[in-house]
Amino acid sequence: MKNQKLKKRIMPWLFLAPALLVYCAVVIFPIIQSIGFSFYDYSGIGAMKFSGINNYLKIFKNSSFRIAIRNNIWLMLGGTCIQMIVGLGLAIILSNIRRFASTLRVVYFVPCIISSMAICQIFAKMFSITPEGVIPGIMKLFGMTPIAFLSDVKWALAIVIILDSYKFIGMHMIIFYTALMDIDESVVDAAIIDGCGLWKMYTKVKIPMIINIIVAELVILVNGTLKAFDVSYILTGGGPGTATELVATYMYKTAFTMTKYGQASAMAVFLAVESLLAVGIVRLVGNKLQQKY
Amino acid sequence: MRTTGMNKKTMVIFYIVLIAIALVQLYPFFWVALSSFKPASDLARPAYMLPSEMYLGNYVKALSGRLPNYFLNSTIIAVCVLFSLVALGSPAGYALSKMRFRYAEQVTSFFLFGMMIPSFACLIPMFRMYNTLGLRNTYWALIIPQVGFGLPLCIYLYKSFMSRIPDSLTEAAAIDGATKWYIFRSIIFPMSKNVTMTTLTYNFIGVWNEFTYANTFMSTAEMKTLPIGLNDFVGEMGMVDWGGTFAAITLSILPTLILYIFLNKQVIAGMTAGAVKA
Repeated sequence: MKNQKLKKRIMPWLFLAPALLVYCAVVIFPIIQSIGFSFYDYSGIGAMKFSGINNYLKIFKNSSFRIAIRNNIWLMLGGTCIQMIVGLGLAIILSNIRRFASTLRVVYFVPCIISSMAICQIFAKMFSITPEGVIPGIMKLFGMTPIAFLSDVKWALAIVIILDSYKFIGMHMIIFYTALMDIDESVVDAAIIDGCGLWKMYTKVKIPMIINIIVAELVILVNGTLKAFDVSYILTGGGPGTATELVATYMYKTAFTMTKYGQASAMAVFLAVESLLAVGIVRLVGNKLQQKY
Repeated sequence: MRTTGMNKKTMVIFYIVLIAIALVQLYPFFWVALSSFKPASDLARPAYMLPSEMYLGNYVKALSGRLPNYFLNSTIIAVCVLFSLVALGSPAGYALSKMRFRYAEQVTSFFLFGMMIPSFACLIPMFRMYNTLGLRNTYWALIIPQVGFGLPLCIYLYKSFMSRIPDSLTEAAAIDGATKWYIFRSIIFPMSKNVTMTTLTYNFIGVWNEFTYANTFMSTAEMKTLPIGLNDFVGEMGMVDWGGTFAAITLSILPTLILYIFLNKQVIAGMTAGAVKA
């Protein structure tokens, strides 16, 4: 009988053990180690020397890293606005049409399933000046002088922001669309009977009703854009100069090109803490907003 | 009654906007697919023009290089990651939803915590670990991290689905003396096949497109995966052979696109769940 009881207590852990083991080894152990490395002077080879918060002081004095933070804030603001406005706008329009709605939904999602590498390669070719890609070609057609968008300091960050948004807009649209379609018909009907027009239907009825989804979306977007990496790294390599350098790309270079593991770990910890903080603030403001409605 | 308050004119504007955006979303992929059939003479003409003939030489060139090797690597890694995720995630989801034990809640939040950790923050320790263990430039270096970071959502999806399966279904089997493992294997797991499909499809897309780990842990040419290989392809062929590059890009997108055409519901469900939960 005692054996039976013991078996019953151990059983769940037998089902959990493989997953727990892998999860701890791959996710938990490395993140703890990362925090540890950030307090050491360490470059991969040789002894590790404890250096307190020295790495943190160093990275914030580093002008390239400060530029990376600034670019990343622009990307966060720009990317969040574009994806929020276009995503919600598209979802609203899509929820008002009857025919082709589901086909269009599937079409809008396509860029989300294509690798960043393929998307960046395609756009690099479309923007290319020699040999001439589609975009300079069309600009010439309209009598404009082609611009080398990707190697132009003024344009490169904007292009990275647009492409990063382009890749995920379909997904955000679908999240909004699902929320809009879940709104109770009877509420909408009641509003129509009260003489509610299309504009008021959204500003006064539907959008306030999905405010929780809008806050959730804000969290996803802020979190995602702060950790952005692929498009900048592949398309422009952070350049020209430091024009499109982001926190993640600069951390990656510090680690694997300059092999300054200690400083790179400090940047990694900064990245994790920064996004946790940002998400916390958005949630806090969001809760206030929800109470207002 | 949804569309009351809307006249024909608004409707037309709506459709124009929707179709225009759909074209913007799809044009780059149409363009690259069309360009991959262009012979050299077409590639010299303005890039927005259509190909003058269906030229397959670009594909021959693309496939005669390392591309088939990259395909094989990506496929092996994808199969191993998908299998491990289901094999590890479904029993864990079962334990957390159907077995009553003391720390079930804490274990669940422990797993969910993993979704907040950026994989970037773990790259350096992983690199060091794989280096010491001699796992760099082996399939393991890409399988292990993707399984580890994929587990939280996988377990969460299994757990929430399985907890909705009524206990009455399993009680009869339990009275007949069936073991927990038997109940899991022959009742609960087969019933959760929707979650399994979702997990498999959206993770396939994630693994197939993965860039960072492959770029960090694979340095030898024969171990590269498709996304990284694609990058090399451009250098390997130089700026001259755009046709080959277009063909390689088209081939690399094809598997995910085909999967998406047939299983778009599962793909969308998995990816949106991943975004909302993280």
